[in-house]
Amino acid sequence: MSLLQEEREIILNNEFVDTFDFSEVADFVKNASKDLFISHHFKNQKKMLVQPRGGFPTYKKQFALYEFFVDANVDVLPLTIDSNTRLNDYATSKKMLRLSEENDVDMLNGYPLVNHGYRTTRKMITHFNKPVSLRHGTPDARLLIETAIASGIFEIEGGPITYLLPYSKNFPLDKAFLYWKYVERVCANYSQLNEPINRESFGPLTATLVPPSITIVIQLLEMLLSLEEGVKSFSVSFAQQGSMNQDIVTGAVLKKLAKFYAAEINCSDAAINLVYHQWMGAFPMNKNYAEQLISISTVIASMVGADKIITKTREEASGIPTKEANAKTVANTQYSLGILNGLPNVVDEEEEEILTLEVKAIMEAVFNDPADTLWRKVFNSIKNGIIDVPFSPHIINHNNMITIRDAKKNIRIIKRGNVPIPDRCYAYEKGQCDLTKDTTSIVNDIIHDIGIMQ
Amino acid sequence: MKVVTGVVGNDIHVVANRLIDLSLQARGFEVFNLGVNTYLEEFFDAVIETGADVLLISSLNGEAEGWGREVPLLKAKYKKLDDVIMMIGGNLVVGTGNAEDIVPRYEGYGFDIVCHQVDLNTGLDSLEAMIKERHLEVRNN
Repeated sequence: MSLLQEEREIILNNEFVDTFDFSEVADFVKNASKDLFISHHFKNQKKMLVQPRGGFPTYKKQFALYEFFVDANVDVLPLTIDSNTRLNDYATSKKMLRLSEENDVDMLNGYPLVNHGYRTTRKMITHFNKPVSLRHGTPDARLLIETAIASGIFEIEGGPITYLLPYSKNFPLDKAFLYWKYVERVCANYSQLNEPINRESFGPLTATLVPPSITIVIQLLEMLLSLEEGVKSFSVSFAQQGSMNQDIVTGAVLKKLAKFYAAEINCSDAAINLVYHQWMGAFPMNKNYAEQLISISTVIASMVGADKIITKTREEASGIPTKEANAKTVANTQYSLGILNGLPNVVDEEEEEILTLEVKAIMEAVFNDPADTLWRKVFNSIKNGIIDVPFSPHIINHNNMITIRDAKKNIRIIKRGNVPIPDRCYAYEKGQCDLTKDTTSIVNDIIHDIGIMQ
Repeated sequence: MKVVTGVVGNDIHVVANRLIDLSLQARGFEVFNLGVNTYLEEFFDAVIETGADVLLISSLNGEAEGWGREVPLLKAKYKKLDDVIMMIGGNLVVGTGNAEDIVPRYEGYGFDIVCHQVDLNTGLDSLEAMIKERHLEVRNN
């Protein structure tokens, strides 16, 4: 028996799992409908796929949410997982699930997939016969993704960096890399049975003034970590940044460099897709303004040429959205996409060149780390500040990079910390900003720049 | 002048924490930022360890309410904390409340400056005013 299979048996021999039947699950994946695989849709798509967010504690409510989404002409269904399950606290999620079922009040902020189990969840997924995307935020997702794939969920979001640095203060980063290696291998193995399982990285990170160079570097590294384990379908992603031009440049550079670095490790056979998140920062309380913001996001996603868009709702500022609001945003986004025709082709060569130089310099510094494996190189690079994510709560993150918006609302690096931004690019970035102000007014500008959409 | 700061409890809201750090540095303070998700004991230990003059605790989700009550008891266990300026700010209740009720409550917990939903610079101005009042010198670097 392989080491991986031994580890899988340990993980699945869990008091919260009702006997995991390995061969039955493999048969299910092998014979599953192609429609369940988002990788199949990416291959044959003619339009940008629309995917909302959403998860309710009970089976009944999740089923009802899916009915609303299907009526709104959804392309990809989400399954958002509750916070206890994300932290592997299955005992609490079990208790809260029972309370939610008995009292008709939601006691969880998502669907506790491990507690429901794959036999139950699979009935719902196969009933709707749409691709489902697993949305979570879990550093140790081993049991969760086993349950997901066994349920018919063939897209797994996340990664060791993007699910840790924005969400945790002190979960050990090295452990996260190893737990995610397991996820990649399991996805790669199942991918050999039918259409590939798609892995998606979480580009928005902290959604707070993250410069495109950092976003792209992390997208590329998670992609490489996934492809080197044998994953054949991968989505890189980023969120609306606040400047349409910067979004278009980011999309172009990300696409180009994803292909370039995949080829560098002889993985050009893998399909690489681009996902765009509607604005992930603070939303306006005014629901009509929120709708305007959402439709502008859709326009930019089209300009960027995204393969999939992930939607927000008009209720974003006030809490977990109702299924009505959530379905409405899907229908609206589909409508917007339908009328967005004849878009101009915008290329900003100067910005693309600057951004490409920055990304390549950081990537080179990561590869030059003396460690023996890629994950260790990346780990060391985060530890020594070569990769620095603005506003990450994690203790390992340096927080020495400072960013601000220029007059056109592009995110610019005004302090690079240990990140090896080439001098020419650094001078260009700073040259776009008014740096004659004192620090107190710059801090006020940063506060304003974060709340730009409110 | 040394300041220990951080977000109390299981609160992971990091944005304001970074901005407080930057603003304090801009005003010439030496900042020891414990970040989000920090327990009361860690704050007091850090004040002793660094010999800080100011302890600035912040809260966004309102958890401070629960932790504030523990402050007098815990503070009494530490010696040499009497001269430390204790400041707390952010969103100091779960749900809604008004400053007239909240401020005296936190003063009762032993805080010298209480800023409920007060603008960052206004809050730090009042900190500097209190330091001046106490005839302490802000070291400008």
